[in-house]
Amino acid sequence: MISAHAKESFDRIFRQAARTRLVTVPGGVCEIRPLSDLAPGEAGLADTHRVAVLTISSLSFRLLIALHFGDDPATRGYFAGTGEARQHADAFMEVANLCSGAINQALVDYFPDLGMSTPYVLTNGSVAHWRELRAQHTAFYALAIDTTVKLAATLCVCANAPIDFVAHGTPVEGTSGELELF
Amino acid sequence: MGSYVAALIVAGLSAVSIGWQRTRRRRAQARWQAHIVSLEAHVQRASSERDAIHAAELARLGSEADAREGGLHAALEQARGEADAARAALASAQAEIEYWRADAARLASEAQRLRGLSATFERWHEQMSSLMTQNHDMHQKNQELSAIVSHVLIVSLNASIEAARAGAAGRGFSIVASEVRTLASRSQALSKSYQDSLDRNDLITTATFQDIQAGGKMIVASLGTLGTLAAQLQSKLEQAAA
Repeated sequence: MISAHAKESFDRIFRQAARTRLVTVPGGVCEIRPLSDLAPGEAGLADTHRVAVLTISSLSFRLLIALHFGDDPATRGYFAGTGEARQHADAFMEVANLCSGAINQALVDYFPDLGMSTPYVLTNGSVAHWRELRAQHTAFYALAIDTTVKLAATLCVCANAPIDFVAHGTPVEGTSGELELF
Repeated sequence: MGSYVAALIVAGLSAVSIGWQRTRRRRAQARWQAHIVSLEAHVQRASSERDAIHAAELARLGSEADAREGGLHAALEQARGEADAARAALASAQAEIEYWRADAARLASEAQRLRGLSATFERWHEQMSSLMTQNHDMHQKNQELSAIVSHVLIVSLNASIEAARAGAAGRGFSIVASEVRTLASRSQALSKSYQDSLDRNDLITTATFQDIQAGGKMIVASLGTLGTLAAQLQSKLEQAAA
């Protein structure tokens, strides 16, 4: 139902969005490593971490983006400075919203009818049940921003119609102002 | 005498000469007269021919003019018919444009009205938030229950230890403590299972709500585009009708 080209395109779009939107400090680098399964431990996250969840819906599919983030000092300091736990979650939701917005912007070239939800924070225990979504395509990633901030990501695509598209290498302006190609 | 004869001869010669000249003049006059008659006849013929040609030409021109006039009448009638048909077609097209304009106006109005669906999506959002708050409350209660069960488990363990210390007198109490520990263990397992169900419920509820929310935004955006297109169509039709 979801072609190999479409899966590769979702992967490229996510990587580009993560590199340009999750990095909030100019000159920062986001390393992205694919995982074979949902294994936040492999990404360096504790079992008690939380997950910012967003959904992009179209006429033929819905894409659930789950960005796993810890409450460790490095992550908290990177996204919320010296803020409290609540501020940390809010700050990360804003960044997650930007990342999802970039994915939405890239997808709208191929799917003109799209809508994006507001973010919501869940526990890792909730997202562990991702199989309940019965997604046709799922991808897992370990992310490291400047090697110190450890994140993980889960993409679930639930399709109700065949999906086949090829995302072209359109340059997207990043938050740091530099242009990247994918 | 001689001079008289000579004078007679001269006079005779003169008379002959004059007679010859008169004869010659008469002949010349006769020739000229004949020539003039011939010319007059020629002129007459030419005039007759010219008149005939003129009459024929006039007849031809008259015939052509009649034919042309007939053609012009036919063309005029045809043009009149075409103009009437064009007027009828224009009136029909204007009526159709008016009908389309009314339809476009209805479409724009309907698209505008349906944008009110966003209020419905907001209502769903509130209900979803309420549902998630309730789930959060159930998580907290379950955690509290889990803490109580853990405490009961510890108490039952302590009771078992105390019953063992009491020896034979505590045998009955040991059985009760063991039973309580078993119940606490079962409660703990149930609490974990309940926690698991709540977690799963959180994901499904969130994913479903977000799909509804994002789908709602997609519908509202599409209706906005539809409304804009309908308004543009209405404007074009109004310009065309003007």
